[in-house]
Amino acid sequence: MEVNQAKQEHLLALKVMRLTKPTLFTNMPVTCEDRDLPGDLFDQLMREDPSTINGAEALMLGEMLTLPQNFGNIFLGETFSSYISVHNDSSQVVKDVLVKADLQTSSQRLNLSASNSAVAELQPECCIDDVIHHEVKEIGTHILVCAVSYTTQYGEKLYFRKFFKFQVLKPLDVKTKFYNAESDLSSVTDEVFLEAQIQNITTSPMFMEKVSLEPSMMYNVTELNTVAGGEDGESTFGKMSYLQPTDTRQYLYCLKPKPEYAEKAGVIKGVTVIGKLDIVWKTNLGERGRLQTSQLQRMAPGYGDIRLSLEMIPDTVNLEEPFDIICKITNCSERTMDLELEMCNTRSIHWCGVSGRQLGKLSPGAFLSLPLTLLSSVQGLQSISGLRLTDTFLKRTYEYDDIAQVCVVCPFTSNKG
Amino acid sequence: RKRMTKIRSDRRVRSSTFVNLHSIDLGGEFVTPQEDSSATPSESLMDKLNDQMMESVMISDSPNNSEEDDVAPMDSFLDGVEEEEAATEASDDKEKESEIGQNTTEIKFPLEEQEPGGSMEKGYEDTKAQANTQEQVITVVSPQGDEESPCEFNSGEQEAKGTSPKDEPVPVCTIFSHGNQPKSLVPDGFQPTLIKSPSFSMGSGGGGSEAVTPSKLTAPLVCQPSPSLSKFFTDNGQVNPASDFFDSFTVPSNFISVSNPNAEIPPGPSPATIDHTPERQLSSTSSSISTPGGPLDSAAAAATQPQPFNQLQAVFSGSDDPFATALSLSEVDRRHDAWLPSEETRKVLISVATQQYSPSFAETNKLTMPGLKFDNLQGDAVKDLMLRFLGEPAAMKRQVLTANSVEQSFTGLKRLISSKNWRAAVDLTGRLLTAHGQGYGKAGQPTTHTTDSLQLWFVRLALLTKLNLFQNAELECEPFGNLDHPDLYYEYYPSVYPGRRGSVVPFSMRLLHAELPQYLAKPQEALDRLHNLKTVCLAILENLEKGLAEDGSMITLTQENRQVSLNLWRSRLSRVMYSMANCLLLMKDYVLAVETYHSIIQYEPQQRVQLLSGIGRIFLQIGDVKTAERYFQDVEKACQMTGSQPGHTTCVLMNRAFVSLSQNNYTEAHASFAEVLKVDPKNPVANNNAAVCLLYLGRLKESLGQLEGLVQQDPALYLHESVLFNLTTMYELESSRSTQKKQALLEAVACREGDSFNAQCLKLV
Repeated sequence: MEVNQAKQEHLLALKVMRLTKPTLFTNMPVTCEDRDLPGDLFDQLMREDPSTINGAEALMLGEMLTLPQNFGNIFLGETFSSYISVHNDSSQVVKDVLVKADLQTSSQRLNLSASNSAVAELQPECCIDDVIHHEVKEIGTHILVCAVSYTTQYGEKLYFRKFFKFQVLKPLDVKTKFYNAESDLSSVTDEVFLEAQIQNITTSPMFMEKVSLEPSMMYNVTELNTVAGGEDGESTFGKMSYLQPTDTRQYLYCLKPKPEYAEKAGVIKGVTVIGKLDIVWKTNLGERGRLQTSQLQRMAPGYGDIRLSLEMIPDTVNLEEPFDIICKITNCSERTMDLELEMCNTRSIHWCGVSGRQLGKLSPGAFLSLPLTLLSSVQGLQSISGLRLTDTFLKRTYEYDDIAQVCVVCPFTSNKG
Repeated sequence: RKRMTKIRSDRRVRSSTFVNLHSIDLGGEFVTPQEDSSATPSESLMDKLNDQMMESVMISDSPNNSEEDDVAPMDSFLDGVEEEEAATEASDDKEKESEIGQNTTEIKFPLEEQEPGGSMEKGYEDTKAQANTQEQVITVVSPQGDEESPCEFNSGEQEAKGTSPKDEPVPVCTIFSHGNQPKSLVPDGFQPTLIKSPSFSMGSGGGGSEAVTPSKLTAPLVCQPSPSLSKFFTDNGQVNPASDFFDSFTVPSNFISVSNPNAEIPPGPSPATIDHTPERQLSSTSSSISTPGGPLDSAAAAATQPQPFNQLQAVFSGSDDPFATALSLSEVDRRHDAWLPSEETRKVLISVATQQYSPSFAETNKLTMPGLKFDNLQGDAVKDLMLRFLGEPAAMKRQVLTANSVEQSFTGLKRLISSKNWRAAVDLTGRLLTAHGQGYGKAGQPTTHTTDSLQLWFVRLALLTKLNLFQNAELECEPFGNLDHPDLYYEYYPSVYPGRRGSVVPFSMRLLHAELPQYLAKPQEALDRLHNLKTVCLAILENLEKGLAEDGSMITLTQENRQVSLNLWRSRLSRVMYSMANCLLLMKDYVLAVETYHSIIQYEPQQRVQLLSGIGRIFLQIGDVKTAERYFQDVEKACQMTGSQPGHTTCVLMNRAFVSLSQNNYTEAHASFAEVLKVDPKNPVANNNAAVCLLYLGRLKESLGQLEGLVQQDPALYLHESVLFNLTTMYELESSRSTQKKQALLEAVACREGDSFNAQCLKLV
C-alpha cells in the first residue's frame, strides 16, 4: 500500500531519522545453578546470547549498540543531528534531484543541507544520503523542512516538501546569588562571591563537564569548586560529577575587581556586569550540550553618596578599655562635599573625642582615613554604631550604624583562667 | 521582555555580606499561554522564602531575527504540516509530531556572532530593570519554566498511551496477546531495556515515563484467570492421556529421590498430594515405585523409560561404591541447600525435629500455599504475525514445539527451554504443577512441597521473567511470601526427607524472587531482599571459615569439602552482588552501582577485565568520558598483566571504539570495531556496532548491506532482537518497501526461533 501511494504521488521517497546517540543494549540475566532443574540450560542460553558479556554474563550493561527508537527530547544547546535519505522508489532514473533541508525556528530559518548542488541522476533503488547537524540555539517549536525537487525521465519537474516538527526544551535552571564581601580591612579589593545554583530539569542524568564563569573585563575570577589541599582538581562534588534529574548543584566563584577598577571604588557602582556562566554537559555516550547564561549583573552595594568603610579594627577588645579604629570615608557622589562628623554613643559603645568636628572638603572619588577611638561598656559581641556624617553643602546627614562588630571581653576573668 | 533587579538590603543595616537579589527574565515574547497554567502552585511558602534569596537566570534565546525576510509565519507552517503529513506516512513524522509538547521558552542562548546586538539590548534592559522593581517580586515567587520537567513526563506518557492501546481489555488468550500489543513504541523484548537503560529513557520522553512506571507497561500482560484450567485433563485426552503425564512426572521425580540417599521411598508427589489429586495419580504413584510398566501407555513408557535410566547411570557414574556416592551426595545436598531461616521459623523447625509439633496442625498463615494464577499461556507471536502478513499457508509451515509435543516431564521441559519455546515451557510447568496439586485455583489450599515442585516453580517464574511477564511472575510468587515459611525447609518433612536439612527452595529461586520487584518499579524492595540474601551468604561464609558447617552446626567437614563449600558460597555471594549492582544501575544510582561492580572483582578476579570495562561503559552512559577512559586504561593494564588473551584484545579495542563514539568520532569508532573483526571476524557485537557506525557516517546502504548479510549468513548469531531492531529501523529509513523486507526477516525468524521470540523487534505492527 505504501508503495502504491508513493508511486501515485512521487517517484522519490524522503525519510528522516533523528540521530541521537545509539544506546547500549541491556540484557536481563536469569541464571540458575547446575543442580537446578534446567541444569546448564539458562547459563548456556545466556552465553549464546550475543548481547551478553563474554565471561560475565550476569553483567547487565552489554556492548551491543542499538539505534535510537524514537525522536526523544532535544534540549537547548544540544546538537540536532538527523539522517535524511531520499530513495528512488520507482523503476525509472530520476534526474536533477535537489534535496534541501531547512530548519525553521520561531525567529529564523537556517539552511542545514551539506551541499546545495543537485544530483544529476538517481538510479532506481538508490539513495541520496545526508546527515545534518545543527546546534540548537533557540527554545520552542522547530520545524525541519525538507524539500525535494527532481525531474522525471519525461522531463516533468516535480517538487514536494515534508515537515517535521519538534520542540526544543530547556535543560537547566540557573539561579544566581551575589555576596559582597567588603574587604575593607585590607582595603585592596572589593570581592564579590557568586553562587550559582544549576538544576538539571531534563529527565536523564547529566555529566557537568564544565561550569565556568567568564568574567567581564572588570573582574578576575577564582573558581571555588575544587577541594583545597585535595588531589589536584578534586571536585567539591565528589568523584562522580553528574547531576540526576531535578538535582541542583551550587557552584561558587570569587570575583575580584581588577586593580585599575578596584582603586577607584566609585567606579563600580550601580548595575555592573559580572560575567556569564559557560556550561558544558554531556549525557548518553557523550551527547554534548553547551549553554551560556546571559550577562550576570549585580547591583553594586549601594554606598550612596558617601561610603564609610573600615580599614582597621581589632577583633577582640577589653571591657572599658579604649581601642582604635580607622575609618575610610570615600566620596562616591559626583560633587564635592564638606563633611562634619558626629559621634553618638549607644548603650554599649562610647566614642572618645570631640563630636561635631569638621572633616573638610572631599572631592568626588576622593577618600580620607579617619582614626577614631572608642570603648565598650558591655561584654560580648558589640556592634559599632552611631557615626553621622553631614554634608554641610546640602545639609544632608548620612547615618552609619552596625559598621562592624568587636568582641568585648573582661580582662580579669581571662586572667583567672 | 522584562528584566528586573532589586536590591534587598537595607542601607542602614549593612553587614559584611550583602545579599543582592536579582531576577532576570528574558525572552518574554516566547511565553505561550500554556506556560502560565503550568506554573507550580505547589510552591510552598518556605520555597518562596528561600527563592527570594536566589536569582533566577533565564538562559534565553537572543533576538536574532536578522533574516526577517526568510521567516515564514509559524502558523502557515503549522498548517502546512497538517496538510503534508496527511499525505505522507513516514513514521518519523508521527513520532516527531507526538513530541510536540507545551514548553516554555525563557531561555537565552547567546549566539557568539550576535554579541554586538546583545550589548545594545543590555542597555535597554538595564533601564528597564530599574523601572520594574515592583514586578520583580512576582517573578521570584513563581520561577517560570521550572515546570517543564513534569510537563515532559506527561507528554511522554501521553505519547506512549496514544500509540499503544494497551489499556484496552485484552481478549481471551490473555498473556499471549501481550506479544501482539502492536503499537507500543517499545518492542516487547525492549521493555526491560527501556526500564533499565538510562540512555533509552533519556533518549525519549516515552522511555522516561516507562522508566518511572514499568508496571503500567506490564499491567495489561496479567493473565485473566481462565476457567479452562484443567484443560489438560479434558481436551488433550487423545494426544496425551493424563496417565502419561502423571507417570512421566512421577518417574523422573523417582529418579531425583535417588539423589537423596536418605529418602526411603520415592517422594513423588508426597502423601498430602493424594488428597486432592484424582484417583489415577494414586495408581501412577505406585507404578512409579515399581518402575515404569504398570498402567503405562506404551508410547509414554518409551518416552520416559530411558530417561530415568540414563540419569541413574549419570548419578552413579564415576563410583562403584553406591554408599560412597550417597555420602558425597548428602554432602552436596547439605552444601547447596544450606540456608539460615529466621529465628521464628527456626523454632518451628526445631520443634518439628523434636516431635513437639506436628506439621498437620501448623497454622495456615505460616504455610506456603501456591497455585497457578493463570492458564493458557500458549501462543506464538511469530505465527500470528505470519498469519497476518504472509497468509495461512505460510503460517502453517511454522513448526515449533508445544507443551503437547514433548514428554510431559522434566526432559520435555528442558527440550522446550533449549529450543527457546519458553511459553510452551511455562505451560508445561503449569501442567506438572497441576499434577502436583498446585494447579489453578489451588493457591491458599494446604499442600506439600518437594524438591521437584519447587524446582518447577523456579523454572516457571524464571521463564515468566525471561518473557518479561513480570506481573504474572509476581502474582504467582506472592503465596511464597519471603520464602521463609517452615514448610519450605527439609526439616519440616522428617518422614519424607529424613535427616535432610536446609532449604527446599533453590538458591536460584531466592535470587529470582529478590530480583523480581526491580522489574516492577519497586527496586528498593528488590534491593532490600538482595541485602537479606547477601547477609545470609556472608553468615554462611563466616560459619565455614570458623570451621562450622554452613548452617553453623558443629559438623566436621573435610578440608576439601569445606573448600568446595566456600567456593560455592563465594560464587553465590558474587551473584547476589551482581544482582544488586544491576538493580542499582536500574535505579540510576551510578555511584553505588559502580562501587558494587567494583567490589565483585575481589570475588571474581577472572572477570576483572569485563567488570572494569562495564564500569567504563556506565561512565560513558552518564557522559563522563574522562573517567570512562581511566577505567579503560585500567582494563588495558589488567590485560597486559594477564598476558594476551584473544578476548582481552577484543575488549580493549571495543572500549576504544566506545570512547571514539563518545567523542563523536564515528570514523574512528568504526575503525576500532573493524579491528576487532580482524581478530575475531565472527564477533556479533563488533559487526553490529560497525554497521551502526556506518549509519551515523551517512552510509545507510553499506550499513544495511552489512547487517543483512550477517543475518543471512549466520542467523544463529544475528537473529537477535537488538540486531533485528537495528535492521528494521534502517529498512524504515531506507525505502518505502520496508514492510516487505521485514516480512522476509519474519520468515527467517520463523524457521529458527521458538515461541519466546520477541516479534516486536521486527516492528511489523
